[in-house]
Amino acid sequence: MPVQFYNPRRWFKQLSYLLLAVSLLCACSSGYKLVKSGRTDYSINKEIAADSAIIKTYLPYKAKMDAEMNRVIGQSAILMSKKSSDTLPESLLSNFFADAVIQQALKIDPAIDFAMPSTKGGLRVDLPKGDITVSNIFELMPFENQLIVFTLKGSDVQRLLDFIAASNGQPVAQLKMKISNKKPVDVWINGERFDVLKNYRVLTTDYISGGGDNTQGFENPVDKKMLDLKVRDALLNFVKEAGTAGKVICSKSDGRITKD
Amino acid sequence: MEELQRIKRRGFITKSGLLAGSAALSLSSFDALGAFSADHRKRNTLNAGEKDALNRLGADQQALVNGEVVKLCILHTNDVHSRIEPFAMDGSKYQGLGGTARRAALIGKIRADEANVLLLDAGDIFQGTPYFNLYGGEIEMKLMTLMAYDGATMGNHDFDNGLEGFHKQLPHAKFPVICSNYDFSNTVLSKSTVPFKVFHKGGLKIGVFGVGIELKGIVDDKNYGDTVYIDPVSKANEMALLLKEELKCNLVICLSHLGYSYKNDKVSDKVLAAQTRNIDLIIGGHTHTFMDVPEDVMNLDGLVTTINQVGFAGINLGRVDYYFERYKGKHVNTGSPYLISNQV
Repeated sequence: MPVQFYNPRRWFKQLSYLLLAVSLLCACSSGYKLVKSGRTDYSINKEIAADSAIIKTYLPYKAKMDAEMNRVIGQSAILMSKKSSDTLPESLLSNFFADAVIQQALKIDPAIDFAMPSTKGGLRVDLPKGDITVSNIFELMPFENQLIVFTLKGSDVQRLLDFIAASNGQPVAQLKMKISNKKPVDVWINGERFDVLKNYRVLTTDYISGGGDNTQGFENPVDKKMLDLKVRDALLNFVKEAGTAGKVICSKSDGRITKD
Repeated sequence: MEELQRIKRRGFITKSGLLAGSAALSLSSFDALGAFSADHRKRNTLNAGEKDALNRLGADQQALVNGEVVKLCILHTNDVHSRIEPFAMDGSKYQGLGGTARRAALIGKIRADEANVLLLDAGDIFQGTPYFNLYGGEIEMKLMTLMAYDGATMGNHDFDNGLEGFHKQLPHAKFPVICSNYDFSNTVLSKSTVPFKVFHKGGLKIGVFGVGIELKGIVDDKNYGDTVYIDPVSKANEMALLLKEELKCNLVICLSHLGYSYKNDKVSDKVLAAQTRNIDLIIGGHTHTFMDVPEDVMNLDGLVTTINQVGFAGINLGRVDYYFERYKGKHVNTGSPYLISNQV
């Protein structure tokens, strides 16, 4: 085989390796300059066909979840309507809600004076007469609110009472009052007349205490204690316990908030 | 509950004076460049018309002829809150919107068109539907893995079942959890998260780090245990400097669960953007803010830090594309602005 002194092809190959090496040396990060940006967002709606692999993955979870959500956990003697709760100072639904939540909270902290665990607006749907399912409770309370016991000065409790009266009543337990000209009068807390000079321990939620639905009075607490119990779990536990004990839930209007 | 905010549409170019300088770089030449790059990737050659178009570019852009344009596509979500299926058709505000099956299909379509895609999430993967209450986040992690998420940071609700509850779901998550300002050293998550991650895409290096909100007061103490919260602004500056200067990343992304903006002086994405250097993009969350367009904030170096957040529940998928021009030879960083457009 003749010796090739000059192979242009090989020479070219070597040169390209050299160039590649040089360009690799230069191709450090500073070899790129950001020149342009474009952005958008996409609405994830029914115009987009679904990926069946995803559906196939979550379907077994969904089937089991739907079965759990449809599980009957208790019974109610009567329909508790959201509409009456929205319009009346007290209602079957608001009393049920507040009583169930305080009953469960008292197991963790027995020194609660009274409760306002939601606003009327926070009660999302009716609770039906007859079977109560897990789903009913999730729909009534879809939010993840946590229960907290606030120690409030009497003057702050007064502001909370003023709010309750001005907003034509809210779901409360262990609290009795009259609303006169949108002001609270004749207020009783846990069987004793309200004393503005005393501190009170009030059960509520992270949402309400943060000023949710314009609630007043929780801004400067003397103390606060998380109960590590969600409102929804309190409601679920209450209904389950009643169901297990064979008791039918029977909410009553007992005149805890009345109007002149 | 986080307040839902609706941000008014902003004319970013008119508002951001710092971008006015980009007018000097002819819009039309960059548009030509954009069109060129997509084609170029496929063929690696120029046709006569393209050569002609490039020859018409000014002397400043002559480097482009030698260079190559690399496009990076960032897709992002935040606060998906266990929304596996679309919202039920029950008359509620977002009825029929969202859903992982549709999101996955859309992501697949974009991936088919784009060579360099990063898919990221800014936290609050957990909580919001019975899927979480019943399965503790298992299905959320599995579906994100199926969608091939490249990374996510943690939101406050990801602590809802405690550190143990999050840890338990990590075998289902085949993507890194990126947390820079939570020190988990003395917790069960000590080996579960990374403070940053460098991704390599099309020759580019993309640095991603994550900052989370102060947990005290919004998460039950026992759910975050011995997690140590570190000031997000100083940590972000430290991370971004490391990624951009030491690790030579071409782009630095901050996944943030701080929230878009607050009326008080609480640290937010807007505060973070203005008080840091070296961050190109903040993908935000927590406040469930539907931003009509991303917001461009001037950072400490007088450069653009972009903030974007796409509401919650997977109702929207966000997309930010970046185009990089490759220089052969020594590149002098002029810090000149880049062209921003609210379309892709």
